[in-house]
Amino acid sequence: MKAATKQGKKKNTLTPMTFSLLHATDFADRLLYRIIPPLQAGMIVLADRYSYTAFARDVARGVDRQWVRDLYSFAVRPDLAVYFKVPIDVSLDRLMARRVTLKFYEAGMDMGLSTNLNESFRLFQSRVLEEYDHLVDEFSLGVVDARGSITDQQRVFRRMVTECLESSRDRSAAAAAAS
Amino acid sequence: MTDPQPPQPPAKPVEITDNGARADAAAGDWYGRGLPYLSIDDYPGKLIAIEGTDGVGRSTQILMLREWLEIQGYGVVETGWARSELMQPTIELAKSSNTLNKLTFTLLYATDFADRLEKEIIPALKAGFVVLADRYIFTALARAGVRGIDKQWTRDLYGFAIAPHLVFYLRVDVDTLVRRVLEGGGMDYWESGMDLKAGDSIYENFRTYQRSLLKEYQSMADEFSFRVIDAKKSITAIQTELRRQIGEFLAENETPAPGRMDLEAEPR
Repeated sequence: MKAATKQGKKKNTLTPMTFSLLHATDFADRLLYRIIPPLQAGMIVLADRYSYTAFARDVARGVDRQWVRDLYSFAVRPDLAVYFKVPIDVSLDRLMARRVTLKFYEAGMDMGLSTNLNESFRLFQSRVLEEYDHLVDEFSLGVVDARGSITDQQRVFRRMVTECLESSRDRSAAAAAAS
Repeated sequence: MTDPQPPQPPAKPVEITDNGARADAAAGDWYGRGLPYLSIDDYPGKLIAIEGTDGVGRSTQILMLREWLEIQGYGVVETGWARSELMQPTIELAKSSNTLNKLTFTLLYATDFADRLEKEIIPALKAGFVVLADRYIFTALARAGVRGIDKQWTRDLYGFAIAPHLVFYLRVDVDTLVRRVLEGGGMDYWESGMDLKAGDSIYENFRTYQRSLLKEYQSMADEFSFRVIDAKKSITAIQTELRRQIGEFLAENETPAPGRMDLEAEPR
């Protein structure tokens, strides 16, 4: 799976559709082997990116909004989904500060928005962020203001996770009492 | 996720929503939601799909059709299942290591198809070629159906496909099919549906698997208006029938050369 994605990315031959489908295939593999079994064992699974990434990124590339939602309908709905939100400039500054070279697809260079890597990144990721804003309402994502310090973000994040775990514990307790 | 499959209940009538591949899509148009970033208005080419299980002689028929069409001056492009540049190595690898489950299997095939659709099929149609597809999305729908994948989900998935102008389905009965495949070099793991883990007898699994595949194709024959051809007939008889129907279709849809139109429009 990884081989085809890598190969396609290396040669920059992926279309918005094959990009979307390859990532969905990889996601399906991880879902079935790495996510569902630990959930069945009663464990907590922390997923760094989930189907929402595809909803934002693939739609920003021009893939149909409803199609990509239908595609991921096999995914497990998370108990809690949190979106770490930053303005595009902050995101670009942080990447530059780490001196990372932007990747071709990450910068949306396949879209032909600009021949300049940084400019293309800014244009493409702005579209991605716009999609995320829609997702927050549509899927009731928790939002963490990621402009703040890591400590502040972590505090907010922990409170969200704690609330989620407590309400799920209350629900199981209520279910147990009812039966 | 890979529990043994119980015998399939009779196929439930599929409730078709507007999102997915559906029967009432106009020939040559998107089946469902399509590719919003690609326009396919008014392309001059024609898309003809030849469907059918293994052992019905699809490749022989396509070879003969190609020759016949080229002699008449048509440009012909062939496209085959799981033959995309992007995905073929991965699919081969995944098949040989048996690590695919039914969901990733379905998604890999869809990726392969998307690659061929955008890189081969659509450009050829826009350039005015007759595209002969050796298997089309129906193969994927049938295989996924046998593996118990939600029918609406697979149809939505393939909503980005183009509805062919013609779909021929070369139909055989399971006895003929089994004998032809055994003659032609035998069964492989996937064609026997061994991933469904129904039992140890390869022959029995193969028969059961092919029988359920035939059922899936049959249920699609009405849904997608297949032109059904009896594949037990001789190669020549099948070819004659294909040529007759394709010839009629192409003649009806022949666009007159613009120069000639102008001449006729001139007052005499």
